[in-house]
Amino acid sequence: MKISAAIKEKGLWLVPLIVTILLWEVVAGYVIKNPLLLPRISAVIHSIYTLRALLVPDILVSLLHFSIGVVLAFLVALPLAVAMGWFEPVFKAIDPIIEILRPIPPLAWIPLAIVWFHLTHYAAGFIIFIGAFFPILIGSYTGFRDVPRVLVETGKVLGCIGNRKLIRYVAFPYALPAIATGTRVGMGVGWMCVVAAEMFGVGNSGLGYRLFQKFYFLHQMDYVVAYMLILGLLALIIDRVFRHFVEDELLRWKKGIVK
Amino acid sequence: MRGRSITSVIAIGAIAVAMVMIVGCIDSETPVEMTTIHIGYQPSTHQIAAMVAYEKGWWEEDLSSFGIEEVVMKEFPSGPPEMHAMLAGDLDVAYVGVAPPIAAMYEGLDAKIVAGAQTQGSALVIRPELAEEYEREGPLALKGKAIATFPPGSIQHTVLSKWLLDNGIDPETDVDIKAMGPSDAATAIGAKTVDAVLLPSPTPTIIVEEGNGVIVEWSGSIWPDHACCCVVASGEMMRDHPELLKQIIKTHIRATEYEIAHPEEAAEIYAKLQNADTSTIMHSINVSDMHWIHDPHVEVESGLEYARVIYELNSERYEERGLEVLGEEDIFDTSFYDEITG
Amino acid sequence: MNHKLKLRNVTKMFKSEEGEIKALDSINLEVKVSEFLCILGPSGCGKTSLLRMVAGLDYPSSGEILLDGETVRGPSPDRGMVFQEYSLFPWRTVIKNVTFGLKIQGVDQEHQYEIAERYIELVGLKGFEQSYPHELSGGMKQRVAIARALATDPAILLMDEPFGSVDAQTRNLLQKELLEIWKRTEKTVLFVTHSVDEAIYLADRIAVMSARPGRIITCMDIEIPRPRKRTSMEANEIREQLLKLLGSNNQKTT
Repeated sequence: MKISAAIKEKGLWLVPLIVTILLWEVVAGYVIKNPLLLPRISAVIHSIYTLRALLVPDILVSLLHFSIGVVLAFLVALPLAVAMGWFEPVFKAIDPIIEILRPIPPLAWIPLAIVWFHLTHYAAGFIIFIGAFFPILIGSYTGFRDVPRVLVETGKVLGCIGNRKLIRYVAFPYALPAIATGTRVGMGVGWMCVVAAEMFGVGNSGLGYRLFQKFYFLHQMDYVVAYMLILGLLALIIDRVFRHFVEDELLRWKKGIVK
Repeated sequence: MRGRSITSVIAIGAIAVAMVMIVGCIDSETPVEMTTIHIGYQPSTHQIAAMVAYEKGWWEEDLSSFGIEEVVMKEFPSGPPEMHAMLAGDLDVAYVGVAPPIAAMYEGLDAKIVAGAQTQGSALVIRPELAEEYEREGPLALKGKAIATFPPGSIQHTVLSKWLLDNGIDPETDVDIKAMGPSDAATAIGAKTVDAVLLPSPTPTIIVEEGNGVIVEWSGSIWPDHACCCVVASGEMMRDHPELLKQIIKTHIRATEYEIAHPEEAAEIYAKLQNADTSTIMHSINVSDMHWIHDPHVEVESGLEYARVIYELNSERYEERGLEVLGEEDIFDTSFYDEITG
Repeated sequence: MNHKLKLRNVTKMFKSEEGEIKALDSINLEVKVSEFLCILGPSGCGKTSLLRMVAGLDYPSSGEILLDGETVRGPSPDRGMVFQEYSLFPWRTVIKNVTFGLKIQGVDQEHQYEIAERYIELVGLKGFEQSYPHELSGGMKQRVAIARALATDPAILLMDEPFGSVDAQTRNLLQKELLEIWKRTEKTVLFVTHSVDEAIYLADRIAVMSARPGRIITCMDIEIPRPRKRTSMEANEIREQLLKLLGSNNQKTT
């Protein structure tokens, strides 16, 4: 009984995954038959093995760019979010500027980034910063703006006098789930900018760098797809790790409400 | 529970059908009458022949009797992206360095070099502040520096790599080679983001005129008479439209002879199409060591050398696939040219 | 006469599209020490505004509010408040909610828990210290809110229709428990409601308010001994009187 239930649960996502892999292999190998158009997944997996010496430094460098960008985005966005979320005049003053800058795609910032930071890790980090910043900001200030009045007043009548105390003891804990969600989305966008950030030759390694500066120009499509998969997998891992530490631990109280 | 498994089966079936349909569309290449031709080229004075034929309407004129109604010229910053497009089937003919198509052929490009376009003509430019160091130490002055050039697989990248290797410098570890297009590289050396560039004309001259660099080597002195640009034709062109291809080569020869005879007009045409300063372009043509040519045979020797260098740089991958260094018959098809010139 | 809370000529004006509206008109009220005073009035009569001003969450346009002889200026744990809406901090457990006020005051942790345990037991929630608010029923949540307000040992306990969100049976039960808590702690309680039955059951004295602009029509002493029967004759008589008072002002009430 228990085994079949477990199989059914795993089967729900495992079976389509296996079928997709098999389909890919068959279509690539026997229908399309052009490794430039669609490399076989067996070739892609073999490439991952072939490239193992390059993969580790590339992953580390990409993670470095990613960390620079995300950490900076968080450090800048959070205080701004507190100010915008708690003080309405600040929000009204700054929001128009944010709304103009926000839709600009991170890629469009690349020429400026190269001029400001030259071809260094900071230029790459900057593009990722742009990508991660807005989701973190907006998620966080939404959390602060949404604090129910009754909780703020409860805080006041229990002795939280002054904005600092209210922000620290009432608004911030309330906004924490929104901050976490914004950060998670921001990290997702930031990671997508890794390739864009690195493809312009900032530095000498990195997943995006190697994909665009080496594999693409030499038409090594199986290597390209291998790196694409690695990029996707890393994003998944980062997201899951974040969710485990933040949502499972810090935000246990939210679990009951959302269901 | 039954409902779920049926849904999964239907979903998978739908995906399968969709994929087969997509594949079917890709495969439906029945040789049709060609009415549009796509010609790839780069913004370099090496390839003015293509621009002359375009500007003077020779492409349309000469090819209309073969049923061509439209000639589409596609510009690329450098060879590798141009060959990527050709791999995708987007180009019928390409003006490109000799190295990129060879790199693409190792990955299965169905095309051959059918005519020459130009030899030599690229220059190593270094920042003015480093000129003294270069005078003293020569190539070794470039150790630890950042050099911008065209992407891996291009003539410039290959020439630079070969030159570094010949001078005992490891292109992977002793220098920081950054790949970019000509305008990006010019900006980079101006912003001191890189210390040197190796680029085809006219960009080196433009950089010097802007005061951002000093030309210290021409590629012809690094590698005498090395082939640079050529004309590549897709396998489909060669097999399905041989007469059309022969005419294209004839038009190319006509344009090449014209530019050789009228360099000032050539400079004007380039300046007009590329929004550049005519006198700068004229100056670049004068100081550059390039030769405009049309005979593919002249390019065979250095072409084979490129094939060897590219093989060396990617030997692990090619060996794994059982590939060998490409030979003359793999790279060149001079039959069309030979038929025309008799 | 020992008066805990004095309201003198309290008037409140609101600005709106139609100009200035008088919400409260010259309220004069005195609450005795340990008295359970109900403010009874129809919806919109300003009773909540009045309570909020006592809490310090709002300010009178004219007049003054004195607690133990001192003018009220802003909110303070000295005036504990239980709101109508559920107001527990969802990210804190029951015990951490109750210790909140103590923590802000700087009481050390051991002490915090000691005091909190006492009040949690008082409201009948012993064993639920580690539960989160989302795990509690509506009635339990309000009990925790009461414990939390009492934990800081306020001079007066303010309650704004705290049982409005729960079902009738739970409400009756909570009213009974509230009276027990009041007896044990001897707090002064100011309780706002629109329910005549609730006021009769709970109050020592009922201040009846008119519709807007809110005025105190009359203060009625309820001398029925506790525990009170909701359906006794005396209760019914008083109910009739109150309904007439409220009805004659043409407003809805229960």
